[in-house]
Amino acid sequence: MKRSWYAAPYAVWMALFTVVPLLFVCYYAFTTRTGEFTTENLTRIFDYAPVLFDSLRLALYCTALCLLIGYPAAYFMASRDMSRNKSLAVLILLPMWMNFLLRTYAMMTLFENNGVLNSIFEWLGLPRQQMIGTEGAVLVGMVYNFLPFMVLPIYTVLKKLDSRVIEAAEDLGANPIRVVTRVVLPLSVPGIVSGITMVFMPAVTTFAISRLMSSGMIYLMGDMIEEFYITMNNRNVGSAMSLVMMVLILISIGFLRKADPEGQGGGIW
Amino acid sequence: MVQDTRLIELKGISKSFGDTQVLHAVDLYIRKCEFITLLGPSGCGKTTLLRIIGGFETPDAGSVLFEGADMGSVPPYRRRINTVFQKYALFSHLNVFDNIAFGLNLKSPEALGVKTRRQKKAEIARRVNRMLKLVKMEGYEKRSIDQLSGGQQQRIAIARALVNEPEVLLLDEPLGALDLKLRKEMQVELKAMQQQLGITFIYVTHDQEEALTMSDTVVVLNGGRIQQIGEPKRIYDEPKNAFVADFIGESNILSGIMRADRLVEMLGVEFPCVDEGFGKDEPVDVVVRPEDIEVVPAADGMLTGTVESVIFKGVHYEMMIDTGDMRWKVHSTAMQPAGSRVGLRIVPFNIHIMHKEA
Amino acid sequence: MVRKSRRAVKAFKWTYLAVVLAFLYVPIAVMIALSFNASVSRAEWTGFTFDWYLKLFQSDAIIAALEVTIEVALIATAVSTVLGTLGAIGIHAMKKGWASLLVNLSYLPMTTPDIVTGVSLMLMFVFMNIPLGKGTMLMAHIAFDTPYVLFAVMPRLKQMNPNLYEAALDLGCHPMKALYKVILPEILPGVVTGALLAFTMSLDDFVISYFTSSTDQNLSMIVYSAARRGVEPTMYALSTLMFLAILLLLLIVNRRSSLEEM
Repeated sequence: MKRSWYAAPYAVWMALFTVVPLLFVCYYAFTTRTGEFTTENLTRIFDYAPVLFDSLRLALYCTALCLLIGYPAAYFMASRDMSRNKSLAVLILLPMWMNFLLRTYAMMTLFENNGVLNSIFEWLGLPRQQMIGTEGAVLVGMVYNFLPFMVLPIYTVLKKLDSRVIEAAEDLGANPIRVVTRVVLPLSVPGIVSGITMVFMPAVTTFAISRLMSSGMIYLMGDMIEEFYITMNNRNVGSAMSLVMMVLILISIGFLRKADPEGQGGGIW
Repeated sequence: MVQDTRLIELKGISKSFGDTQVLHAVDLYIRKCEFITLLGPSGCGKTTLLRIIGGFETPDAGSVLFEGADMGSVPPYRRRINTVFQKYALFSHLNVFDNIAFGLNLKSPEALGVKTRRQKKAEIARRVNRMLKLVKMEGYEKRSIDQLSGGQQQRIAIARALVNEPEVLLLDEPLGALDLKLRKEMQVELKAMQQQLGITFIYVTHDQEEALTMSDTVVVLNGGRIQQIGEPKRIYDEPKNAFVADFIGESNILSGIMRADRLVEMLGVEFPCVDEGFGKDEPVDVVVRPEDIEVVPAADGMLTGTVESVIFKGVHYEMMIDTGDMRWKVHSTAMQPAGSRVGLRIVPFNIHIMHKEA
Repeated sequence: MVRKSRRAVKAFKWTYLAVVLAFLYVPIAVMIALSFNASVSRAEWTGFTFDWYLKLFQSDAIIAALEVTIEVALIATAVSTVLGTLGAIGIHAMKKGWASLLVNLSYLPMTTPDIVTGVSLMLMFVFMNIPLGKGTMLMAHIAFDTPYVLFAVMPRLKQMNPNLYEAALDLGCHPMKALYKVILPEILPGVVTGALLAFTMSLDDFVISYFTSSTDQNLSMIVYSAARRGVEPTMYALSTLMFLAILLLLLIVNRRSSLEEM
């Protein structure tokens, strides 16, 4: 037996449990409840255009905020006087492997009407704020969950950056700001691209974060899909929505891959 | 030493990887107790040929015979052949003793000539120790592989292969990772080991000096084809074509025309030589080794030229001498200053005539 | 002057990173603190208590979910470790075209949004009339765990001297035997890391479990349904324990191989 056959069970399992299920999504998306072909499921998505629009908008805000906060963090972590501090990197990156539901739950505790933040406001003599249920709260919850996914790939790229390149730029007369804008930033584009993908993708498909941080007030695509499958038991429209989301994500990945053809961004994607 | 019985025969071996054909219908036989070297530049197919003998690759066409029997369907673990791999391929999770004992442990007690498991253990220990002695690594049994230097790892790799008492030992550039001094020492030791054990060594290298020093027979390969097979001295003195001449040692290669038997014209001058049997006015390649050119006063030369550069090489001077239409590389113990006019003489015996490559 | 500004830059970097760290960890710390708060309210601290933890272990639903979580995680880890390790060995021995096809296939569950993976598996199980429970959850977990094992083992194989396997054959080893006598010891660190990672991912999962199981709940699903009803201190206790378990596992994995290089 050739050694390559050892991969056969793996290949079969992966085909059966990743490729075939996706085909089912396509099948359900284009059929009625009775199994006849239709495109009606897809057109029904337009009824929910505002939800789709909201999802995209919030995901974009979230991605932008993560980049804004995450890039300096990654840059500082990778900088020469910090890079020896390995546990710092571990601490910042660790949350990305932790259950997002639990972390959202923790965030909820802070933001609730009679939660920790409002208690602090009261103690300071400030008026209580209605935070849960606002878009801001959902956005904070998303940024909180996805920030490490932006930091990781940028950090990976910056750490691999040859410090001699920076020294060469300094040697050629570039001041610290120029070094960043003319050398470091362009060289870290692959990491940025990868980070954007890694944040935007889960952000646009999120469902529990919005549900919990808005106590059901704000509906995003993920929540709609959950609603169709679990509550309304309408798998066909749910599948159509999943399909649209998949296509959306594949397009954005393809788009971003063009900016990072060698996949230097690292990370798990 | 080398016996006349053919131990291994390769018949019409061809092999391709994807679109590139690395071996073109190679025929070769290897005799008992022979030290044979497959020599050639990287990509010439020498390692592939060795891997086919070892059973790690299957040829697309042709057959491998071992004492006359086809080995085509015999997997590597049933061949009476062992291999010393490039970069050694030692098992880093095992210590020195267990590395060497690896093959013996897989054998049944009967195969080792004993009856019980306990006897087997003692027998293995005996054989491993004998091997450690052979490769001069006694006392290293318990060391881990990572603690050994490159040269020591090399010795363990050889011991691990030899302890199984193979009839043929395959060596794939075994000295490639060692420094020059160690390499020279190991060359001598390997040759001594081969003579002491009386088994066949098939050795792969791209180092022509290594090949010439150790081998009974050298097989020069290029582009997946055998260029020449012969004893080292014959290969050096009588290269069959321009490639062999160029690859084996340094040489001056130029085009010429055979005017008659024992007379070749090159650079417009007729030189007497010792080769016969070429067609009249046949275009040929001519090889002259740098040490075979005599530097004489300009008036006495068959050719005259100007010394372009002189480099001291330790035992001789290497001079580049320009005769107008050819730059000659000349080795001589007497130095001529750069810029001086000199004459060159070549005695008939030192001119090698070769058929032009198709 | 230069030294002074350099020190200021360094202080700024530290402050920035400290703020980011606080953002990431303060909510968790607050939740852990509240799990020991005697009051049901999050607004006031009325004293230290272990009550919520005791309540946790008195709840049948939570004990059942704990059992489901651990059972699924253990079996999924065992199966995916075997599948993933064999898969990596096979892919490593393959011709380039087939290998990259399979590697890309392995990226698929990682690039597919969890929610789509979840609903697609659910659709398949429903179509085949398999009741959504522990069994379907297990199959789904194996599917998303296996690539983690594969990607933990592959680099080990790539680092391995390609001649090691051949050396074992050369010394008389049967191919199957060579696999566990030579290749397995060589890649074992990767296999263990992969198994730990798979176990962590399985313990950690919410979305895919949520869609592929309805009769059996794992701990994350319990937290979700409780969170939708409002906040409950027992859930703080449960979350705290889960956090600590996952944190511990992650630290072990990180010690073995830098997580950021995964």
